[in-house]
Amino acid sequence: MNKDIGSLFKGKIAIAIFSFLFVVMFQVIASHGVHAQEADEMVQYRNFFGIDARLVVWIVSELHLMFAAFVLGVPMFAVTVEIIGAKSGDIRFDNLAREFTKLLSAAFATTAAMGGLLAFCLYGLYPGFMRYMTDVFHPIMFVYALLFFAEAFCLYGYYYSWDILKEKGKWFHIFLGIMLNVFGTTLMFLANSWATFMMSPSGIDLETGALTSLHAAFENFLWMPVNIHRLIANVAFGGFVVGAYAAVKFMGAKSDEDKAHYDWMGYIGNFIGLAALIPLPFAGYYLGREIYSASPVMGNIMMGGAFSWTFIIQAILIGMLFIGGNYYLWNGMDRIEGAERYRKFIIFINVIIFFCFAVWLTPHNLPLSGEERALIGEQYHPFSKFFGVMAAKNAVVNLLILSTFFSFLIYRRANKGEILPFSKHGNSARIALIITAGLTILYLVWYALGLSHLELEADVKQYVSPLIKCLIIQITAIVITILLTFSNRGKFAQVFLLIVTSLIAVVYLAYYGFVVMEKANMVLRFLSVTQVSVVISCLIVTAVLDVFIFKNAKEVGQIRWGKIPLRSQYALLLLCVAIVTLMGLMGFIRSGLRMNWHIYGYMQDTSDGAFTPSIAYMGWTTTLIVVLFLALVSFVFWLAGLGEKKKEKTA
Amino acid sequence: MAKKKDSYSMIWAILSIIVVFVIIKFVSPYVFKILLKKDHAMPTPSTLMLWYMILGVLGALVYVSTSDLKWASFLSFMLPTEDDKTKKLLQKMIVIAFPLLLGWFVYSGTVPGTASPVELRIQHPTLLQKYEKMENPYSHVSEDLKLKYIEEGKILYQHNCRPCHGSKADGNGPFANAFRLRPINFTDPGTIGTVVESFAFWRIMEGGPGLPDGSTPWDSAMPAWEGTLTDEQVWKIIMGEYATAGVVPRQREEME
Repeated sequence: MNKDIGSLFKGKIAIAIFSFLFVVMFQVIASHGVHAQEADEMVQYRNFFGIDARLVVWIVSELHLMFAAFVLGVPMFAVTVEIIGAKSGDIRFDNLAREFTKLLSAAFATTAAMGGLLAFCLYGLYPGFMRYMTDVFHPIMFVYALLFFAEAFCLYGYYYSWDILKEKGKWFHIFLGIMLNVFGTTLMFLANSWATFMMSPSGIDLETGALTSLHAAFENFLWMPVNIHRLIANVAFGGFVVGAYAAVKFMGAKSDEDKAHYDWMGYIGNFIGLAALIPLPFAGYYLGREIYSASPVMGNIMMGGAFSWTFIIQAILIGMLFIGGNYYLWNGMDRIEGAERYRKFIIFINVIIFFCFAVWLTPHNLPLSGEERALIGEQYHPFSKFFGVMAAKNAVVNLLILSTFFSFLIYRRANKGEILPFSKHGNSARIALIITAGLTILYLVWYALGLSHLELEADVKQYVSPLIKCLIIQITAIVITILLTFSNRGKFAQVFLLIVTSLIAVVYLAYYGFVVMEKANMVLRFLSVTQVSVVISCLIVTAVLDVFIFKNAKEVGQIRWGKIPLRSQYALLLLCVAIVTLMGLMGFIRSGLRMNWHIYGYMQDTSDGAFTPSIAYMGWTTTLIVVLFLALVSFVFWLAGLGEKKKEKTA
Repeated sequence: MAKKKDSYSMIWAILSIIVVFVIIKFVSPYVFKILLKKDHAMPTPSTLMLWYMILGVLGALVYVSTSDLKWASFLSFMLPTEDDKTKKLLQKMIVIAFPLLLGWFVYSGTVPGTASPVELRIQHPTLLQKYEKMENPYSHVSEDLKLKYIEEGKILYQHNCRPCHGSKADGNGPFANAFRLRPINFTDPGTIGTVVESFAFWRIMEGGPGLPDGSTPWDSAMPAWEGTLTDEQVWKIIMGEYATAGVVPRQREEME
């Protein structure tokens, strides 16, 4: 154990020294540039040894954000897995949580070093802009630094006290893990406010820049949408990166025991990644809508203007994530005895997923040659006219989510046989189900009431009432589902709810989306939220139902952990590359939407690098960032594993 | 039977891909012709053709590799066989067709041709900052006055915009066929319905010459109306244009 810790420290010391040298070198080079400039004038911009300052900050900030996403996402599920282990008494969960934390601990030092490097880059290369940001946010910057200490203490306390608190202080240990999450998340929220302030500034005078309210500057308009989006995305990111780590370890494992362990770890990683990926499009939609509210210019640039083609790339990456996640589950069924009963569904899910991908991918404005345009005879081909708009895209993304959820359901029940009647699960199951359904219904009622009280013109408002009816039908369907479950028809109830949800959210609302697009496009924003609410309510109720229905069900076969086809492990690697690329791309879009503004509407970026990059330039830079991150993270994980190798050799 | 079906999974996969190709290439143009009541077929653009076919091939490959058994039976189709004559014939067809198909791809991609280049258009060019906060001065007037301005706007629209955008705002004006890039069909809810009024104001005022570089300005024949029409006239035209097309402008969302 001591040797293990020793090696870990050596690894971190190596990273710290490396980072320190890099920072010193950077400072020397950057300061060299200062002498070259006029001494009297306040320097606004510098470059990094001839390299564009924007490019340097772009790369460093993305790398910092990617490591930070990992460091913030992993503790959430590490603690959850530990709690499951503590409640169930299954040591495997505890070991898994520990392995997650080992990776976390290794990545933490790099995140901090990257953060330091980013701060130096910003202060060194954009002194004028950072002077202003410091003037506005310096009180929060101190809090940020203090919280960083708290996070570091919690993390090291959490990792190194694992053995000491294993027997008697398990719940205190879990408490440490929860505090690690609290401090980490707060830290991210603080830093988010700086980034979103640059997009939607408030609390300042937009003419003079004078600070009028620090609170308003901190809690600016886009702050919460970005917080929510990043929080969920971090979990997905952490899950898929952990999945890839497990895949690499699985492929290199020699013993059956190791293969079984890493197979299971990969499954958990993929499960976490997919579970977080499901609500992510909704959070993304919310963020996009709020960006449009903050500024129609940014909204237009994003979805219809200079950045619209990056969203096609985003669609490809999201499609890859859903396909990869499903592919992994389907291959995983190979190692489950009894799964053959459900294999017949795969072909249908596969067709649906690829169809959804095709629609999701189709742009509204297609690249057409002059001859093609002449043959079509109008600006839009019907495929792009009908598939390229939000009404269709919302419908297919919901169908994609429902299909992936269905894949997961059949995976879960693959080795399950006869189930117990629901009444046998006792009152606790009934109460849990009633609470779940009750809360879900409460939310749907709240949203329906909100819709009915909207202050809209009469000719627009008439288009809102079908949405309210959809919500009422869904509430009724949930009640019927619960009643069917109580009368021991749980499996049928699940199918019933899935069908009703698909009919409302996919079939009817897709059609109705086109109607409101034509008649009252303002209603489209409420339609999208209705669609999301209906689907999410179905997912929550069906998932909780599934847990109870298959509780203590007879097993028709074993799960042969470690006997999964190698192809599935490549799928895990693909998922990791896709999510890292996606984060790099979306980070660029979020930041790039400001175009030539440091602080949108107040401080313009007058540096040489203020241009909006072409898609090719963005592609090359994002690829470089992805390669750098994957190389760095592999190096850090390799360092974290050195202790283990030594231990194995000694043994 | 099931075993036979499994051992022919490569053929099933190829057939599925062919079916997808036939639907997209040959069936859909006529389906759209009938459904949309057009007088000509609507051929699928080459970009979409390529994307959908890539997805089709990928979908087939994903399905045949969802288990070790499926993957093995997919690949084993190409193993030598003694007694199955159909299989032998199909194997030969694949061995001949695959390189031919690949060769055709290479040839068609590299042979010099006279086709005009495919253009990557931007749907909504970036609205200039000065127009962002601009609001229609007539949006808060009384209903009666609003109706009056809409009527005035409709007349102004017919005088100035009809030749290209058509009397019904459907992009079918008398001059429409003369342009390489047809005038926008405003009745399509994916056009002016998706932008705020100030966006329409900018496009009318600055027209094609005012488009940013990324929006291929040489394509649009839209004239700049600034200096010809007054601001008030343009706002009225916008009101009349939306009313004629039967769509409503995008509403700004309230910042809570």
